[in-house]
Amino acid sequence: MPGLLLANFDLDECIERLYNKELLPEIVVNALCSKVKELLIKESNVVHIQSPVTVVGDIHGQFHDLLEIFKIGGPCPDTNYLFLGDYVDRGLFSVETITLLVCLKLRYPSRINLIRGNHESRGITQTYGFYTECLRKYDSANVWMYFTDMFDFLTLSVVIDNSIFCVHGGLSPTIHSIDQIKVVDRFKEIPHEGPMADLVWSDPDDTKSDFSLSPRGAGYTFGIEIVKKFLYMNNMHHILRAHQLCQEGYQVLFDNRLSTVWSAPNYCYRCGNLASVLEVKDNGERFFNVFDAAPENGEHTMMLFNPEQKSQSLFAQPQPVEYFL
Amino acid sequence: MNIPATTAFSGFTSISTPPAKSFLPPPNNEKLAIAVDDWRIYTTHNPILNSVELDKVTESIGIPMPEMIFGNNGFRLLHEPSGWEITFDALNAVDGVDKTGDRDGLLKVSCSQDWLKSRQKRELESKISGVVKPFDWTYSVAYSGNVTPSPNNTNQISFEVTEERIPIDKLKRPDPILFFDNMILYEDELSDNGSSVLDIKIRVMPERLLLLCRFFLRIDGVLFRIRDSRTYIEFKTGEVIREFQTQEATYESLRKKIPSYVEDYGVYLRDPNWVSQHIPIQSVMCEKAIIT
Repeated sequence: MPGLLLANFDLDECIERLYNKELLPEIVVNALCSKVKELLIKESNVVHIQSPVTVVGDIHGQFHDLLEIFKIGGPCPDTNYLFLGDYVDRGLFSVETITLLVCLKLRYPSRINLIRGNHESRGITQTYGFYTECLRKYDSANVWMYFTDMFDFLTLSVVIDNSIFCVHGGLSPTIHSIDQIKVVDRFKEIPHEGPMADLVWSDPDDTKSDFSLSPRGAGYTFGIEIVKKFLYMNNMHHILRAHQLCQEGYQVLFDNRLSTVWSAPNYCYRCGNLASVLEVKDNGERFFNVFDAAPENGEHTMMLFNPEQKSQSLFAQPQPVEYFL
Repeated sequence: MNIPATTAFSGFTSISTPPAKSFLPPPNNEKLAIAVDDWRIYTTHNPILNSVELDKVTESIGIPMPEMIFGNNGFRLLHEPSGWEITFDALNAVDGVDKTGDRDGLLKVSCSQDWLKSRQKRELESKISGVVKPFDWTYSVAYSGNVTPSPNNTNQISFEVTEERIPIDKLKRPDPILFFDNMILYEDELSDNGSSVLDIKIRVMPERLLLLCRFFLRIDGVLFRIRDSRTYIEFKTGEVIREFQTQEATYESLRKKIPSYVEDYGVYLRDPNWVSQHIPIQSVMCEKAIIT
C-alpha cells in the first residue's frame, strides 16, 4: 500500500483505515509504537493539562463503543481527550482500539493524553485476551510485543487545571505529595507492589476512612480521610479515576471529592451497564455524558458464536443450542 | 502453594436445600420460557444491579458483592400439579459465600508474599488500618438452587442420597432441544488475579431436562476450582436426580497438562470446559426424589 511504508507512513491514512475497522500491517504497527515511544518518553509521570477536556474511563477493546465516544464527545482533535487506561483485554477489538489511540496521539499529541492502566502490562494481557487477539489477528506475537513495550512508556497520572488529579486506579500509602509520583521510575513492567502498582490498582472504599488491605492479600483500598488529606496536601479539589465497573456508567464518592468514570457500555457484551465520559468544562464544571452500547456491537458479537473462537466462550451471551453434559 | 491447611470445606455439604430468601423485590419480567409435560420453566434476564440495589443487598448479605452481579436474574423450574419448584438466583447463591473466612479458610493471590514482605520493609503498618473485613473474596459457593416444597403439602417430597447417577446415555442422544438457555449469575475478575464465575445452562428435550449450575474459579498462579450441581428431570416418571461434584487442582499441575507446543496457554486456562475435563474430581454425590 503506497504511503504506508515504514519510514514515512501517512498517519491520516492510518487513522482513516482504522475508522473503517481495518487492521494496519505489522510493520506499520512497529513503526507507530517506536514513534509514540519517542513522544511518551518526554512526558513526566504527572502531565499537566488544561480544560476543556473529555475524560474517558476503561474501554477494554470495545472498539465500536470507542467510535461512539467520538460521536458523543466530539471528534478528535475538535475535542481534547484524556484516557484513563485499560484500552485492551476482554473486548474483541483491543488491537483496533490501541492502534487507533496510538495514531491519534501521534497525530494530535497535545489534544489527546493516554494514562497507563493495570491492563497495559505484559502479564495481565497474556491472561485476559489481548495476547490471544494479537496472535489471532497477526499470526505472531510481534504486535503484542510492540504494544506491550510501548505500554512501559505511558504516563501514570494527569492533573487538569492544577485542580483535578487523574489516575487509573487510585492513591498509594507511599505517596503523599504529587512530587513523589514524579520520581517513580515508570519505564518498566508494572510491578506487583509499590507506588506504581497502587496507582493503577487501588480502589476507593466508602466504608473505611483510611487505607485498608484487601482480603486477597494484595492491594489497597482507601477511604475519605486519605482523599481529604491528599487533596489538601496537594492543593487540589478532586480525584478522577476509572478501573471499576458501575452500572450507571459513573460513581461519585466522598462528598464529591472523587469520581469513577466507566466507558465500556454493556461490558464484555453481557453486563447491560451504561457508560459515560466526563466532560470537564473550562469553568471547572464536570458533566457526566452517559451513553449506551453502540448498535454495531450486535453484528460483531455474532462472531462470538463461532465455535473456533474457543477462548471467547466466556464472553458469549446467548450461545447456540449446546448438548452440554 | 497458597492453599491453607484448613480447607475443611468439601463443597456441597447437605442434601437439604434451603428455600429461597428474598433480597430484592421480584423483577417483573419473568418469562415462561417453555411448558413441557407437567413442568414450567421460567427465566428472568436483566442487567447487573444498579448502585441502589447494590447498596441494599450488600447490607443485607453482609459482604461486598462480586463486580458483576446479576441479582435480578434467575431460573425457576416449577412442577405445576404439585407446586414443587426449584429456583436459581444470584443473591441466594452469593449468600452462601463464607462471610468471615472462618469456614473455608482464606486464599491469597500469588503475589501476596512479595507484597507483604515489601510492606514490612517499608514499615507502613502504622498507616494501614487493617484488612478490610475478611470474607471469601473468591466467592466460592457450592450452589444447588433453592427448593420450595409443594405448598399444599399433600405429598411430602424428600430427596434421598442415592448411588444412582444421572443417565448420561440418555443425555448423549441427539434428541431435539426444545429450549436452551444460559445465564451468568455473578462474575468477579478478582481484581485481575483470575476469575470467579457462577453460571447456569439448561436444555430441555421432549422427555427430560438437564440444568447445570457451575461455579468456576481460577486464581492465577494458585489454583482452579469447579463446583457443579446438575439437576436432571425425567418428565414421565417425575424422577428428579441432583448430582453434586467438586473438582480442584493447583494452577501449576493444570498448566502442565497443556500440550507443550501451545504458545497461548491462556486460551486453555480460561476455558471452563477444558479445565473441567483435566482436573481431578474430589467428590461426587447424588440424591433423588420422585415429584408427583
